Amino acid sequence: MSQFVLNGHPVTLDIDDDTPLLWALRDALHLKGTKFGCGIGFCGACTVHVNGRAIRSCITPLGAVAGQQVTTIEGLDPDGSHPLQKAWIAVQAPQCGYCQPGQIMQAATLLKDFPDPSDADINAVMAGNLCRCMAYLRIRKAIKLAAAELKDGSSHA
Amino acid sequence: MFKRLVIALLVIVVVGVVGLAVLAYRPALDPITPPARTSFAAELVAKGEMLAGAGYCATCHTAPGGQRYAGGYAMTTGFGTIWSTNITPDPQTGIGRWSEAAFRRALREGVARDGAHLFPVFPYQHFNQIDDADIKALYAYFMTREPAVAPARKPDMAFPLNVRALQAGWKLLYFRDGAYGPVSGNSAQWNRGAYLAEGLAHCSACHSPRNALGAEQLDAHRYTGAVVDGWYAPPLDRSNPAPVRWSEDELYAYLRHGATPLHGVAAGAMAEVVHGLGKLPDEDLRAIAVYFAGRAGAVDDAATAAALARALTASAQAAQPAGDAGARLFASACASCHYNSAPQPLTERPELGLNSAVTAADPSTLIQVILHGVGVDAGLPGVMMPGFAHSLGDEEVASLAAWLRRTRSDQPPWPDLPRTVAALRAAPTRSAATAQR
Amino acid sequence: MPRSDMPLRAAARPSSPSRRAFLIGAAGGGFVMAFARAATVLPETSATTLIAERGFEPGLWFRIDIDGRITVNVIRAEMGQHVGTALARILADELEADWSQVRVSHVDTDPKWGLMVTGGSWSVWQSWLPLAQAGAAGRIALIEEGARLLGVAPDACIARNSTVSAGGRSISYAQIVQRGDLTRTYTADELAKLPLKTPAERRLVGVDTQAIDIPGKTTGKAVYGIDAQVDGMVYARPLVPPTRNGSTVVSVDDSAARAVKGYLRSLTLEDPSSTVPGWVMVCAESTFAAMRAADKVKVTWRNDDTATLSEQDVLDFGRKQFADPTAGATVVDDEGVDAAFAAAASTLERTYTTASVLHFQLEPLNALAFEKDGRWEIHTGNQWQSLILPTLAKALGVGEDRIVMRTYLLGGGFGRRLNGDYAVPAALAAKALGRPVKMTCTRPDDVRFDSFRSPSIQRLRMGLDAAGAIVAMQHDASAGWPTQVMVPSFMPKGKNDRPYDPFAIAGADHWYSVGAQRVRALSNEVANRAFRPGWLRSVGPGWTNWAVESFMDEAAHERGVDPLNFRLALLDGSGRNTGSAPNSVGGARRQAAVLKRVAEIAGWGTPLPKDTGLGIATTFGQERDMPTWVACAARVRVDRASGDVRVEKLFLVADAGTIVHPDGALAQMEGAALWGMSMAVLEGTRFENGQVRDTNLDTYTPMRMADCPELQIEFIASTEVPVGLGEPATTVVAPAIGNAVFAAVGARLRHIPIRPADVLAALKQSA
Ligand code: FES
Ligand code: FES
Repeated sequence: MSQFVLNGHPVTLDIDDDTPLLWALRDALHLKGTKFGCGIGFCGACTVHVNGRAIRSCITPLGAVAGQQVTTIEGLDPDGSHPLQKAWIAVQAPQCGYCQPGQIMQAATLLKDFPDPSDADINAVMAGNLCRCMAYLRIRKAIKLAAAELKDGSSHA
Repeated sequence: MFKRLVIALLVIVVVGVVGLAVLAYRPALDPITPPARTSFAAELVAKGEMLAGAGYCATCHTAPGGQRYAGGYAMTTGFGTIWSTNITPDPQTGIGRWSEAAFRRALREGVARDGAHLFPVFPYQHFNQIDDADIKALYAYFMTREPAVAPARKPDMAFPLNVRALQAGWKLLYFRDGAYGPVSGNSAQWNRGAYLAEGLAHCSACHSPRNALGAEQLDAHRYTGAVVDGWYAPPLDRSNPAPVRWSEDELYAYLRHGATPLHGVAAGAMAEVVHGLGKLPDEDLRAIAVYFAGRAGAVDDAATAAALARALTASAQAAQPAGDAGARLFASACASCHYNSAPQPLTERPELGLNSAVTAADPSTLIQVILHGVGVDAGLPGVMMPGFAHSLGDEEVASLAAWLRRTRSDQPPWPDLPRTVAALRAAPTRSAATAQR
Repeated sequence: MPRSDMPLRAAARPSSPSRRAFLIGAAGGGFVMAFARAATVLPETSATTLIAERGFEPGLWFRIDIDGRITVNVIRAEMGQHVGTALARILADELEADWSQVRVSHVDTDPKWGLMVTGGSWSVWQSWLPLAQAGAAGRIALIEEGARLLGVAPDACIARNSTVSAGGRSISYAQIVQRGDLTRTYTADELAKLPLKTPAERRLVGVDTQAIDIPGKTTGKAVYGIDAQVDGMVYARPLVPPTRNGSTVVSVDDSAARAVKGYLRSLTLEDPSSTVPGWVMVCAESTFAAMRAADKVKVTWRNDDTATLSEQDVLDFGRKQFADPTAGATVVDDEGVDAAFAAAASTLERTYTTASVLHFQLEPLNALAFEKDGRWEIHTGNQWQSLILPTLAKALGVGEDRIVMRTYLLGGGFGRRLNGDYAVPAALAAKALGRPVKMTCTRPDDVRFDSFRSPSIQRLRMGLDAAGAIVAMQHDASAGWPTQVMVPSFMPKGKNDRPYDPFAIAGADHWYSVGAQRVRALSNEVANRAFRPGWLRSVGPGWTNWAVESFMDEAAHERGVDPLNFRLALLDGSGRNTGSAPNSVGGARRQAAVLKRVAEIAGWGTPLPKDTGLGIATTFGQERDMPTWVACAARVRVDRASGDVRVEKLFLVADAGTIVHPDGALAQMEGAALWGMSMAVLEGTRFENGQVRDTNLDTYTPMRMADCPELQIEFIASTEVPVGLGEPATTVVAPAIGNAVFAAVGARLRHIPIRPADVLAALKQSA
């Protein structure tokens, strides 16, 4: 039995505490935007926020987030128009798109920590997010675009 | 001739046993009728709660998933496993029938109400420093907890280590009696810090190495760091290997917030320590900081700046991993959270090049964290790290640790890493941040 | 399915639905991008019922609803190419449609679609004509009916932006559909004669737009196969046997798994189609329970000798094949090759190898299968439905007409999902249980079941006359043949009448004029037996060009000629390299043009810093029938101490004919180029004792962001037939990098991936 706050709403799940958060989200809560890629914390497809910081949900047991705030790609922005999401569309970043929810969630933490990220900052922080389509250059471009927009005083934090 | 020798030996043994028996003998103190909760003043209970926190009594007296203070937490020592006891006021299995005098004697002398000697995993050699007023408050706090029925579990130790009477001999060797007295020549603040650190907080219980018989080394080795329960408690004296020296402010911030940008996050048992100490008022934490800052030695700002620059330069290299397997693992699994760039590392992004987990003489803490992660309730509230126990094999964890050691510290390589990883993986863990897959 | 005697190109084309009578027909089902499936429910309704009843549906490819909304049916899988956008633009351009009204429907399987395959970079090339014709037919019908409604002559009307107008009056397509009587039909001949727009008249093709599939991919709403879900389904994870082909289950012990909450049972699959021999499916009430239980199920297998085969055995076998002059199929075999070699003043011979490469598409293999009302439904992302349907029919023991494959987005294809074998175990388990089964592979399961890119070994020989001119060339290539293993009927016959896998040799039949030429394709039977060789992004050209373009570089250096000039001289467009309409107009001269251009933008010949080098390479993409001319210059810096190769920048120039969706085309070039680089210096595994060595990202190391070099990419402006772009760039990058390493430090690498240790060894040798 585990309780936490998911995208702003309290949820209670009657499944084992050692179930990875990823599978709790996908199977029990039917939130499928969070993707499964490697299951060992090495691809970032499953990235969600716990208390506003990106973590890999495939290696995070449900028990570890009891009582915490969990945010998935579905909850990043009520209209799906977070500056990152807008930038992603503007530069046409996704190819197959499978990695992109994770990329965007990781990028959100990146911008929190490095509001004006250099290439090196982006390379290092995004290194854990594999894009098998290798849309890397566009992802980097989109992050910079979003950073610029955020700096220009958008309402998003 | 032979016969006489045997007799002589027998006499010696008998005298020894009798002597020990005399030495070991402690009377049972009379049981009492458990006092009503209302018989304790609320302020006293509140003070006791704060002190119990600062002594992190719950850490050892609570089993994973069990009721708080009901005991049953396994402590692995070099001599066998000991399970902590129930210190809720249950009359049969807890301390409900203990008088305040019995409680005080336990804290001060390590003797249970029935006269049995307690094993020194219970740090009475520190608690004997606690003054009467604080003991009174602690008593009030514990006697007003929810009673739990939880009988003590027999220690898993071989004969004769399990003979409690023998503890008397141990005490004879290592136990110094007497309450804390101010050390002259030091400020009141320093003395307050020393009182808390040496007594209730029993810092040295973890941070000092122990001798062959499990006693803390109080000589020059005091506070030079030790492995406890599969974690490494780093030195609290000048020998601390953290690249940035601990200043009073850093110590205070660490104890207050559980993390600092220049030293990282309290994890493992230390997480519980900071949560417990966090119950103390600011001035008490400041006092402890003053006390340990004195032990750690003076801070050189230029050296701090240089260490910081070195660490950040190394961190920046994570942005461009070279062919090394460890570098590649770090880039793929760690850099997303642990990378920093100038001018200052971020608290939420613990900078491994500044972290004593990497610079310490022993790799246990680093390995524990890689394997089992850090829970949301650890040092930095709300920030968690998942464990990689199910993601990485022993060799991989070892190569990651070795690479960090090589590139993020100027210390010699750790020997035998894969074996240490295997051993720590096999040992029971206290962290909840590890998934099954 | 294509007949075996059909030439490859015809076989690869759709079975010409465009040539059927162009009649009003039923709408296809499937999903419409605008109505992306809700994650938790599968639609009971098809797209047809989501939209209004009446509408204009002139044939297979599109429909206009009474509100003017236009739905284009796309039979190609969306796996990152934004293929729906490109294809819809082709049709919408000819239709003179208002682009904002256009939707894309990725349809489910139906025989009416003909051959359903997404691969070979064929989608735009194959669909170009039928879709353009369909659009043109629609436009003409709408103009005729619009003219009637407006009371004017059709040739007084023009169509633009979904509106027909004449003089000052106009009528929208929506109004025409509502009020008009659209029953116009066309015969195939009529269709073929329809006037298509000239390049100058195009308004959508060649003009940038945002891809339709992208917004859903930024919000988590995009639905992939792994997201498919249906009420009452059982979750399953396979226990993949120790070898791909030769394992049988001896016993299954699930006693430990029974302690896992939610564990149901373990099924040993009986597979009449022999697709998944030795498979056990562990079924449970959730994905995670299935995964955990599978860890605890103990299976004993009996294996054949393939459990002892390794990459070295594959290469050794290839060497033996080289030594046997009668082995293999000859793809090119000019008169007098042997005589030319015999007469040559000197010969150059080199051997090149490439390692096994995993697809590692990010979405692990999965499939949901169930029977409903006597029909089997397979829900999964797939690239070649027409290939797996007969296999599924055999496995399930039902007719193909009783199986429908529902279409989903693919979390990466790269050729892995051309081979739909992963649908079979889900279907078999569903049949055995009588319940819907959703199989999700863990990453190691996915990798161990991968049809990975076969290791290859190639021997190249060149004969030179006394003046140093090339008089003969022979290229022998041995690798596992995916087409032989998976669809032998697709194999054309060589000059010596032996069938060969065209995809495993393409590239060796290059456009250089090299005198008497022989290309020998050798099926590596050790590889074919030991695992299931797969088509992986560009397939053979990924290794043949590594060899050809490294070899050309070596030959140039041997002769002391600049590698650029050396190549340009050979790309003279003579003989069979002249090229022909419609696909290869211009021939080798177009290849020379991209090569020249890339040398220009890369600053070929200008001095570079120490240990930094520029390498070039050029290819024709994949197949001589559909050449995408491409050239690459790679700038690398080599660390002599560690052997690290840092790729600083890749310059690429491509001539792919008409570019339909420029930004999408660029994205494909970017992805393909980086794939090429990843396979050249970062990823690659080894086949060892029946298994690949690396099964997850801790040891398998494809490119990550920090490895990414700078890219500069150009397209040659062209109005020629649009050819493929998904793969061609993968084929030039590895040799460009290898040649750059040589240029930087004089170390010649003949194996990819290039590892630091190989560089160090080569440095030692060159010293
Ligand atoms: S699925 Fe979680 S990091 Fe790959
Ligand atoms: S867009 Fe396909 S994996 Fe990133």
